[in-house]
Amino acid sequence: MTLSQTRPTQSIFNGSYAASTPLISSFRNSMAVVASGVEMVYDSGAEPYAVLRGIDLEIQKGDVQLLMGPSGSGKTTLLSILGGILTPTAGKVFLMGQEITGMTRNQLAKFRLKNVGFIFQGFNLFPALTAAENVEVALKVKGLRGLQARRQVAIELLEQVGLADRMHHLPKDLSGGQKQRVAIARALAGDPHIIMADEPTASLDSQSGHAVIELLRQLAKNAGRTVLIVTHDPRLVDAADRITYLEDGMIHG
Amino acid sequence: MASIARKNLFEDVPRFLVAQAGIMFAVSLVTIQTGILNGFVQSTGQLIDQSGADLWVSSKRMQQLEVSPPIPLQRLLQVREMEGVAYADPLAIRQVLWQTPKGQTTVARVYGFQPGGAFFTQWQLVAGEVGDLKTPYTFIADRANLNTLDLHEIGDRGLVGSLPARLVGITKNTSSIVSGAILFTSLETASAYTKTGTTIRCRIRAGATECLTALEDPYNQNSASSTPPKAPEPISLADPISFVLLKAKPDQNLEQLRQQIEAALPDTRVVTNAEMAEITRSFWLRRTGVGFVLGLGAAVGFIVGVVVVSQILYASVSDHLREFGTLKAMGASDWVIYRVITEQALWMAVLGYLPSMVLCLGLGSWTMATKGILILITPAIAGGILGITIVMCVGSALFAIQKVTHVDPAIVFKA
Ligand SMILES: Nc1ncnc2c1ncn2[C@@H]1O[C@H](COP(=O)(O)OP(=O)(O)OP(=O)(O)O)[C@@H](O)[C@H]1O
Ligand SMILES: [Mg+2]
Repeated sequence: MTLSQTRPTQSIFNGSYAASTPLISSFRNSMAVVASGVEMVYDSGAEPYAVLRGIDLEIQKGDVQLLMGPSGSGKTTLLSILGGILTPTAGKVFLMGQEITGMTRNQLAKFRLKNVGFIFQGFNLFPALTAAENVEVALKVKGLRGLQARRQVAIELLEQVGLADRMHHLPKDLSGGQKQRVAIARALAGDPHIIMADEPTASLDSQSGHAVIELLRQLAKNAGRTVLIVTHDPRLVDAADRITYLEDGMIHG
Repeated sequence: MASIARKNLFEDVPRFLVAQAGIMFAVSLVTIQTGILNGFVQSTGQLIDQSGADLWVSSKRMQQLEVSPPIPLQRLLQVREMEGVAYADPLAIRQVLWQTPKGQTTVARVYGFQPGGAFFTQWQLVAGEVGDLKTPYTFIADRANLNTLDLHEIGDRGLVGSLPARLVGITKNTSSIVSGAILFTSLETASAYTKTGTTIRCRIRAGATECLTALEDPYNQNSASSTPPKAPEPISLADPISFVLLKAKPDQNLEQLRQQIEAALPDTRVVTNAEMAEITRSFWLRRTGVGFVLGLGAAVGFIVGVVVVSQILYASVSDHLREFGTLKAMGASDWVIYRVITEQALWMAVLGYLPSMVLCLGLGSWTMATKGILILITPAIAGGILGITIVMCVGSALFAIQKVTHVDPAIVFKA
């Protein structure tokens, strides 16, 4: 019925069996993200609405992966599922070799804390906190102890995104591109393996959009991080290692 | 993390100020109501606190300081003769009709005692001399009662029944808000005041009798025809008094002495000074319902505070829902967010409490100075109110907390 069911690889990700096969486990170890048979049905409307209909997806470690598709195709929903924020109604998701679809809410939160950094179209910075403080909050949440230590790491992260000189500015005094770079520095807090970004350039002009993507690419390549970017923006295609298209809840190409 | 709470709070200064005004209103209301209740309760027993007596001997049917059936003066002599009693003095409390210099009538109480005796020596006299009470028809009043009595300074006069009364001293902190004006007099004067009635003079003229109530001062100092009043009659054994106050000999066991007196004088009840104060205070508290009324006011203040603080915290959290969602998306546990909100509530509590307390203490000294109304804010009450304020603010945070708890982390992706 769905695309996923026709794929031969689907069955190998089923539970403990998968881990016991050396070939499969080495395959999984080279993958940052593996999704198999992911379905999502929203039940909030008048009748259930299937947004994702059998998604199979693998993202290699260290890759910059783009997820593109028309509005309403389910990109954000898929990103939330892959990032461990939403639980799919069916299917399995493995992140860095661990199945996250069976985790409890708390386990998921702990997993995200260690492994995933998020970047949003709307930046989601605390407006009352300076650039450095926004990063420090993330560091504190991620368990870094000591005010001094947090301040120092925050400065280092802001240096990485080229914003050390703006560390005392409030978000309202930063440009869109600068805000997004603060958000990237924040996402880097705790040194996550995977960075997931939803339309990170949609609120930016093309120049700062490009700078942001270039930065993400550089961060991925320098530290072997995996970056998954949801975008509409065709100009980002050049920066990607791989591109996946989502349409009507299914993957094409 | 500290910074999120504080900075969210100061992010919108006008809103913060409105919130603090609301909290100040609530805290002040609770403080003043509690302070008035406390001042009231304290004032009803403060005269007893200052008596200096060890034991109070009264009628068995004594209700409280001002409601106690009379006992004969003879009890005083009997108590004085008892072993273990160092000295004893009488106290007679009676209700009388006071007529102000302008001729208005009001109810007052006469407290007849032994001036220069062993008791009520801890008074704070702001003017005059206790010794002057030995002159007949003189009295001392609390400065808080001067208004009621319509007197202004030492030497001012009024009438009790048809007898004159001259102010010879002014005390402070001796009257309670509730009990009405008190005239402290010598026992003899009190006895005379108790016996005096309103004089009715009747004349028989041409076979018809015409009677008049003497509302005018028959001993008016301005009137040439006035005759000085007779000196009060000496006290006799049959004269009624209300209490015998006694001081025990050093090392005397009070409990033993109490039993001894109650056994010897079967129609009496003997209580310690502290018990007497407690009986009187709890009488006023329970019988008058004033505790309930003031407690109701305090409760209203508390509820207002909860509503205001809830509103503000809820609004602040709603404004930052996306950021809190972001913290959750990062993997922060709910507790991290609860801490931020609770801390915000605590800041509001402390920043609302401090100015309110200053305000209430100021108001308290103003009412005491101008109205003689005691708003008693003890350190214990101030501490208790801080506790209440914190409970109020943190409790109000629960609404905001439950809003954040139910936030879907997926909100973070909504543009
Ligand atoms: N919580 C929800 N309840 C019900 N339906 C939802 C919910 N979230 C999303 N949807 C629906 O799921 C579909 C996919 O939404 P999603 O946000 O994943 O699309 P998208 O590809 O990210 O679109 P866009 O490019 O506009 O951001 C939409 O039709 C949307 O209305
Ligand atoms: Mg989207």
